[in-house]
Amino acid sequence: MSAALSVEGLVKTYPGTRKTPAVEAVRGVSFEVAPGEFFGLLGPNGAGKSTTLGCITTLVRPTAGRVAVDGIDVVRRPREAKRRIAVVPQTRNLDRDVTVREVLTFHAAYFGLPRAERESRADRLLAEMQLTEKAAAKPLSLSGGLQQRLLIARALMHDPKVLLLDEPTIGLDPQARRMLWETLRRLHEGGLTLIMTTHYMEEADRLCQRLAIIDHGKILQLDTPAALKKALPGGRILDLWVRSAAPVGPRLEALPGVLRLEKVTTEGRDDSFERLRLFVDPKDGLLDRVLQAVQAGEADLQHVSLTQPSLEDVYIHLTGKELRE
Amino acid sequence: MTAFLALLRRDLKVASRNAIPLLMATLTQPILVVLVFGNILPRLHLVAAEFRTVMVPGLMSITMLMAGVQGVLMPLTVDLSGSREVDERLLAPISVLGVALEKVTAGAIHAAVAGLVALPAMMLLMHRVTGVEVHPRWVALLPLVILCGLLSAAFGLTIGSQVQPRFSGLLFAVILGPMMLFGCAYYPWSGLSVIGPLQYVFLLNPLVFMSESMRLAVTPDVAHMPAPLLLVGTLGFAVLFTLLGARSFERRTVL
Ligand SMILES: Nc1ncnc2c1ncn2[C@@H]1O[C@H](COP(=O)(O)OP(=O)(O)OP(=O)(O)O)[C@@H](O)[C@H]1O
Ligand SMILES: [Mg+2]
Repeated sequence: MSAALSVEGLVKTYPGTRKTPAVEAVRGVSFEVAPGEFFGLLGPNGAGKSTTLGCITTLVRPTAGRVAVDGIDVVRRPREAKRRIAVVPQTRNLDRDVTVREVLTFHAAYFGLPRAERESRADRLLAEMQLTEKAAAKPLSLSGGLQQRLLIARALMHDPKVLLLDEPTIGLDPQARRMLWETLRRLHEGGLTLIMTTHYMEEADRLCQRLAIIDHGKILQLDTPAALKKALPGGRILDLWVRSAAPVGPRLEALPGVLRLEKVTTEGRDDSFERLRLFVDPKDGLLDRVLQAVQAGEADLQHVSLTQPSLEDVYIHLTGKELRE
Repeated sequence: MTAFLALLRRDLKVASRNAIPLLMATLTQPILVVLVFGNILPRLHLVAAEFRTVMVPGLMSITMLMAGVQGVLMPLTVDLSGSREVDERLLAPISVLGVALEKVTAGAIHAAVAGLVALPAMMLLMHRVTGVEVHPRWVALLPLVILCGLLSAAFGLTIGSQVQPRFSGLLFAVILGPMMLFGCAYYPWSGLSVIGPLQYVFLLNPLVFMSESMRLAVTPDVAHMPAPLLLVGTLGFAVLFTLLGARSFERRTVL
């Protein structure tokens, strides 16, 4: 009962139509988020992130499982649950027919806030999000970064307990993104529970206290960013882009100091180089041995890099896919 | 209820800001029809003078149908568009049914206003020719206009949440066009007894009840359907389309 959000055995299958098969978008997802926690859902396109958020926010009807916000079952008591949550959706759905300020005041009115409070909260949030100058503008005339801030301001109007953000920094320039991170961090410090989906590693690493890595509708791993990184085999990662007639993988895998080899699928590359990723224990002479093995296999080597594991590597390790940014 | 009223207030505020284009969109047609069929053609003795009297309530009902359908359809298209503005409403502390009923209410108000504005506009334009028997009975007119507005808006919700937006042009041509021609707008239903039992097939068209309701309310001298039949028909269709519309709205919005 103490969790701000609990998701148990969530399943969502979108029914098929005559022309399209049914889609199992979420296939048994469970997690809990503590009050005040900053929780992340990380996964590639189509992983089921938005569907999971949809089930939490009552916009998607779960096929099975249970979702409770602050102990309130969202399917059985949707109206009470909705009072406690706020959503910054993946597609910006700002009311295009009213002004920026009215976006906030009308939203508050939907939640039954008295007029004086609507006005004072709107003033405060406009100032906090640095939107005061734009108060009389129409939302769609704002830049992407400002629209995103307006969405957050709107979400905060009814003083939610849990704020859900679906890929909030997508399409923002680096500066706007950084500013959004600051805002989210400030909200987190203020005690708000935040749940964010993203496919930006850096963002998840910086902001989230715990992360669920999700793909094909299932949670692959759930832990703190540090623990996720630690779980990778070996201390370093050696990436090789090679091209060869006969595969060099087996040779490399057999070398001492190479703990594991993974092939990474890289979308959008049409040359014949393949990306091999070695999880290595960087012992003496390891690089020499690797290069010898590549040469012995008569392979072309295009590129080599040796790095500290990042969350992105955890992600590639778990999903076998590279994230393109 | 708070959320319902707040949503309604937002919709009415936005509509009132766009009042002029909205009224132009709904009033142009009846005004032009009245000019031609109620003013020019009778002077040329090409149509009988009584036709005007028969036509005015019919044009009111057509105006309301169009206004109600458009008053729901246009916002609904935006709502269900790629950006899904409807999600903000669905996230308010109100049931999906509540959101649907609010749409119908807003559309009904839009339709009722359009009908009430169309009536004096038409009367004014026909005034030059004498012998027009339009005597609105306000006590009957107001509730009937509201009822017809509800029917129009509920019909708008039903088709709007079932038809893909890109087919909305087709919808006017294929559904609303025939409805208007066979909606007893230009002839009283009782006169259809000349076509025998086929007369009763017309009762499948909700617009027939709206036209006859307006006939009762504004042209008492023209024969109209018995009041109980007319009330049951209008109310019945209003309830039916509200239920159907709410159901398909829920299907479209909650995945
Ligand atoms: N309304 C729907 N009807 C049918 N299938 C759907 C629907 N919405 C999503 N899907 C499918 O469900 C799967 C999960 O989609 P979802 O939007 O939850 O993914 P996501 O993790 O949010 O991806 P993205 O990063 O692209 O936003 C996808 O295969 C998607 O095509
Ligand atoms: Mg998504």
